[in-house]
Amino acid sequence: MKNLQHKYYESYNDNSHLLPGLDISWLKKLREEGIDQFKKDGFPDKSVEEWNNHSYKNLTDNYFKPHSDSKFEINSNLIEKRDSKCSIRVIFFNGKIINIESDSLPEGVEVNSLTYFLKNNSDFLKDKISSPKEYSEERLSNIIDSRPQSIVAVNAAFHQEGAVIHIKKNVKMPGYIELLHIGKYNKNTMQHMRSVVFLEEGSECEVLENIVNDTENDLAFTSNVTDINVSKGASLSFHCFIKGSSNNIHINNIHGEIHKDSQFNSTTIVKALGQVRAENRINLLAENSSTKIDMLLLGSKDALLEGLTKVKHAKNNSTSNQNTRVILNENSKASFQGKIRVNKEADGTLANMSCKSLLLSNKARVNSKPELEILADDVKCSHGVTIGNLSLEQLFYLRSRGIPEKEARKLLVNSFGNIILDDLNINFIGRAKNIMLEYFND
Amino acid sequence: MGTALEIKDLHVEVENNKILKGLSLKIEHGEMAAIMGPNGAGKSTLASVLAGKEGYNVTRGTIEYLGKDLLEMSTEDRASAGVFLAFQYPVEIPGVATSTFVRTALNAQRRNRGEEELDAMEFLKLARQRAKELEMSEDFFQRAVNVGFSGGEKKRAEVFQMSMLSPSLAILDETDSGLDIDALKIVAEGVNKLRDDKLSGIVITHYQRLLDYLQPDTVHILAEGKIIKTGDKSLALKLEEKGYQGITEAN
Repeated sequence: MKNLQHKYYESYNDNSHLLPGLDISWLKKLREEGIDQFKKDGFPDKSVEEWNNHSYKNLTDNYFKPHSDSKFEINSNLIEKRDSKCSIRVIFFNGKIINIESDSLPEGVEVNSLTYFLKNNSDFLKDKISSPKEYSEERLSNIIDSRPQSIVAVNAAFHQEGAVIHIKKNVKMPGYIELLHIGKYNKNTMQHMRSVVFLEEGSECEVLENIVNDTENDLAFTSNVTDINVSKGASLSFHCFIKGSSNNIHINNIHGEIHKDSQFNSTTIVKALGQVRAENRINLLAENSSTKIDMLLLGSKDALLEGLTKVKHAKNNSTSNQNTRVILNENSKASFQGKIRVNKEADGTLANMSCKSLLLSNKARVNSKPELEILADDVKCSHGVTIGNLSLEQLFYLRSRGIPEKEARKLLVNSFGNIILDDLNINFIGRAKNIMLEYFND
Repeated sequence: MGTALEIKDLHVEVENNKILKGLSLKIEHGEMAAIMGPNGAGKSTLASVLAGKEGYNVTRGTIEYLGKDLLEMSTEDRASAGVFLAFQYPVEIPGVATSTFVRTALNAQRRNRGEEELDAMEFLKLARQRAKELEMSEDFFQRAVNVGFSGGEKKRAEVFQMSMLSPSLAILDETDSGLDIDALKIVAEGVNKLRDDKLSGIVITHYQRLLDYLQPDTVHILAEGKIIKTGDKSLALKLEEKGYQGITEAN
């Protein structure tokens, strides 16, 4: 692996002039810190607890060069007609912005690509893209382990594009924003996106990030890291729908800093055939902040899925609710790692976490690991994990009413996933249901 | 009248335990037959075997329903052919609305019989009408199947499903268990409203009270895996008086 680390390092040195924003000193520093950290740590191996559920063999055994121009063209069927409730849609293909479609937006809403902001308003982004080491977890031992953040380090070094959403003070964004990422990558290439969502005080916004990987048989490595900042009294819903192809390795990271009296809700739906890891690291930094993190992981064939949530309650009276559902078929495997950390200063915390997994085949496997780390005295925390098959009693009940077995199974699997979908805003339910439908057809 | 269901010499094992040991029973069209018997006699096993539940091994005997070999049919085909089991413990299905469930079932049965499916409006109209007949509130259409239902609501929901699916053989497996007197009366009245000369019924119960409302045509005593005595309503009264042991010994 040392060789491989060196190869990425060389590649960074050879190609850094092609990366955007190298004339901006803070960004240059961020990139260099990223590549230095990666050179030191490499990809996480099994000794890193957060990464020891599955093998990342495809990632660690291959070298991925930074993606340049694709030999492929975009499949226009993947771009559906813009929904009437979608006020602005930004479309990326292979990490390049190809279109922004927009209704007239109220003043105080800025949505554009990362490169646009770097060119026109780079000062705004300063301090809003964090260095990977800032994401390292606080541990009881006070030892800081940077290794779990390797992918964020690679992303910091190599990111080429991303989306930036800035909602100014007290502005309520009408409709929702969609970020559509379509990818069809050349063989053994990597593509890293870095996005920023910044809500000023009292603002409100809803975002759907739609990631579709259309790569067929070629191996590719992609990451999306999103830095989210929800200021005092603001409210953000950030949903992420990921459809991965069979040979794709996709790592999705959401880092949220949630301030006083503010709210952050997120639903991540992953339908994977390849390897997808979705991380949500949410810091409830101040009083009365709240978050709701839902995930639905759908795996079939040889998919490897991972869902990771880390919620930190830093101050008094904050609330978090996590609800994950995992559905696995054929040879697919998944893991869920969920952690609630309650700091000493965070009395009055309310935190719930639940993860239920449904295994539809004998070969499907799931690991679920809930963790609570509570340093305060006056808190209410709960966690629950279940793993099971379809209930034969339920199946018989449906069949005894005349519903054929196949349809009955589908109804039960759907109902299991619906617990997550039912909480979605009506604008997104249709699309989420389509992902479930596609899952049945995979 | 003609025979709706004929069970001959039925032997059933569950996990190698012999439960039914030569049960024979014949039910005419429009007949309401009550089956009573001590705990462990095999009453619920009979209900499960008729509905086609897995795990019940029929080692001998035949079941003919409307001239067809019932044992050869899948659970869902039996339902389409008119067999309806009202469960002793109706199953909860979180995340599926009752109306979605019943509509899926009704249309699956219709499709299976080569009939046209009902669209959402037609279905709703029928469901409202049936709910009204059974004096049920429509609120439960949107509630998840049996989730959070009280004992009485669950049993009424079973009767509602039965009325929507219009079976020709209804098997009521201890429909009276867990019901208070008022709920029992409402459920029994619901069943009575559905009775006609095409609907045959098997009412499995421990108690005379349900039979007071349902007025069965025949009463059968099931003990140790077979029908040991058959009679009319008066048999149930006699049973109430003498208990199973009295009847068995007299036999």
